[in-house]
Amino acid sequence: MGVGEVFAQFGDMYLKSLLSTWLMTAVCFAGGLALGIVATVMRVSPLKPLRVAGDVYVQLFRNIPTVSLLVIFVYALPYLGATLSYRTCLLCCVILVVSSFASENFMSGINAIGVGQIEAARSIGLSFVQIIRLIVIPQSLRTTVLPMTNLLIATLLTTAMGSQVPLTPPELTGMVNYVNSRSVAGISAFVVSAICYAGTSVVLGFLGNKLDEKVRILR
Amino acid sequence: MSANVSMRDALYEAPGPKTLQRVRIGTAISIVALIAFIAFVIRQFYINDQLNPKYWSFFARWTTWRFLLKGLMGTVKVALTAGIIAMIMGLLLMLGRISPNKPLSVACHVITDLFRSLPSLLLIYFFFLVIPKYGIRMPAFWMITLPVGLAASGVLAEVFRAGVNAVPKGQVEAAMSLGMTHGKITRKIVLPQALKIVIPSLVSQLVVVVKDTTVAYVVSYPDLMQNARVLISNYDALVSMYFVVAIIYIAINYATNQFSIYLAHREGTQILSRVDENPV
Repeated sequence: MGVGEVFAQFGDMYLKSLLSTWLMTAVCFAGGLALGIVATVMRVSPLKPLRVAGDVYVQLFRNIPTVSLLVIFVYALPYLGATLSYRTCLLCCVILVVSSFASENFMSGINAIGVGQIEAARSIGLSFVQIIRLIVIPQSLRTTVLPMTNLLIATLLTTAMGSQVPLTPPELTGMVNYVNSRSVAGISAFVVSAICYAGTSVVLGFLGNKLDEKVRILR
Repeated sequence: MSANVSMRDALYEAPGPKTLQRVRIGTAISIVALIAFIAFVIRQFYINDQLNPKYWSFFARWTTWRFLLKGLMGTVKVALTAGIIAMIMGLLLMLGRISPNKPLSVACHVITDLFRSLPSLLLIYFFFLVIPKYGIRMPAFWMITLPVGLAASGVLAEVFRAGVNAVPKGQVEAAMSLGMTHGKITRKIVLPQALKIVIPSLVSQLVVVVKDTTVAYVVSYPDLMQNARVLISNYDALVSMYFVVAIIYIAINYATNQFSIYLAHREGTQILSRVDENPV
């Protein structure tokens, strides 16, 4: 079965699964960034318990394998009184993992600013809120464009975990399984999914590089 | 983590008595909130009868741990083999990419970017579902190590390249002016230094490899996760087992990460990960 035949027979499904992968990537990345910001605020707050909790949160979710987290969400949580749909489980897992790496990126963006700048800002009379708004956030956002682009691509790849739970429509990796169990597609199904992943990564990487060139801070 | 602390503290002025008072109140409130959260989780376990000793007592038996350790050995074996495959492939891809031979360089560039932009699960399905259709049979061990290794080789090729780029250009120019060939310069001047620079990054990349091997159950290779599944059906204790396994994985990966940070600190180098490189 050639790539053409796979398209003729499963073209619609592939389109749906590509869109589903893109949508999940977007949702997970947005959710991961939001939660990552919360974790980062906790980690730089003046309250020691929140700092520790933020650090522990990040260490937990950046070190846990996504599959291990997924089986806890899918199989263990129903025993603990929370039954979520397969898609919700997947989205939650990827968001949690992505948020820990997002927080690490934000932290290194903040660390890159340098203590001297904060001291300088304070000496010209900026308030704490002004320092955060005018010095810390703009600079850390600009230095994290490239790492965040990589995280976005990593998010795309992590959504492949969706192949481990039944989803309709399946996402791109699940499609290889789906097609292979219904026909003798052989290598074609794999090639189509691979092209979708690689194409998306190339486009995202290109856009990220362009944005980074625009906003990068030359130190 | 010590680097974070200095910047974290630098954000705040030395607190006066009023601020100190507010920090104390905030600290108290946040401690209460955290304890409340932990209590809520424990209560969820309790009211769903998951704290029942029958779900936890078998962890006191040596046979349980022996079986889990056997699975862990499987994980270690797969991760190390995949790591070695990734290192060799990554080094070859990088050497091809920096070689003066244009077609080879372009080919290696494309292969590197391809492996970096495919999920390891897709590659696992390729080895598990696609290759057997062409009549090639391979043991489960290789169906998990080869794809995981290949997926990591793309990232490692970029790590090696960053190491090569970190070797000062002047040394290469000096070697060229002595009349050394490209091969000789790479072998004698660039590689020895580049390899030393990337050692911490290689160790930290092992974390990604260990994570990728957790789907070994797809090809039914008996790793930690797969053995845990067997124990779950034996003891009928799903929640406790999945949590314990997750903690084991977190501990291994955390230790690996800390070790790579320690190495980087000792060598005075930086850890290069996927995050630091240029995206595809």
